[in-house]
Amino acid sequence: MSMVLNARRLDDIVILDLSGRITIGEGTLILRDYILKLLGQGDRKFLLNLTDVDYIDSSGLGELVSSFTTVRNQSGQLKLLNLTRRVQDLLQITKLLTVFEVFNSEAEALKTMK
Amino acid sequence: MTFKPPRSFELTIPSRLEEMHAVHNLIGEAIKEFDLNDELAHWIELTISESMINAIQHGNKADPAKEATLRISSIGDSIEIIVEDQGCGFKLDNVADPTDTANLLKPSGRGILIIRSFMDEVDLSVREGGGCRLRMVKRIRG
Repeated sequence: MSMVLNARRLDDIVILDLSGRITIGEGTLILRDYILKLLGQGDRKFLLNLTDVDYIDSSGLGELVSSFTTVRNQSGQLKLLNLTRRVQDLLQITKLLTVFEVFNSEAEALKTMK
Repeated sequence: MTFKPPRSFELTIPSRLEEMHAVHNLIGEAIKEFDLNDELAHWIELTISESMINAIQHGNKADPAKEATLRISSIGDSIEIIVEDQGCGFKLDNVADPTDTANLLKPSGRGILIIRSFMDEVDLSVREGGGCRLRMVKRIRG
């Protein structure tokens, strides 16, 4: 199952609900293109909801990192919400938990992005 | 009591990422045959996929004239996976540590770390006639 992305907006925060697999090729391109488009429109605050993402490969992790640095370089914020255990394990192994701010509650995440 | 002989699965593909669907299909067959639980199945699929993508992209430089081969076999209580490419080769110890602070924000370079973190044995050798042979072993029982 390839990745599906749905966007919601709460004030100036864009919540991207991702589902499926974030893998090399299509999955990473969808995310990259969407975030670049929103940055171009002036959005700077992104919360990636990974509740329904159970499979990320190293390219998918790379895309999360690229998105994070792209947004940060434009003085924006990109945070992660609701990691599955397997995704959490991958971020632990790769030490990316030290890079991303991760939340288990959408309300808590939004509070930090106001 | 019935004796089920071990099975092997093998696939050779041209070095194009579009061929990865065939790799995932083969992994699915092997997972079913070896009766792996969901957890093992997930990590086996991820690590094999990472190793084949490495072979295609880094080993064979995505040259479709070059081939990547995957073999998955059950050996006793373990699964042995062999991935071969026709590239120039590299040394596992020369791969930059993606967890080093200087590399944390790089978009690539995490595949080998993921493979090493999950597999019980990982070794890389040069094939006779050129190319690399990555051998991985995962204990699945006991």
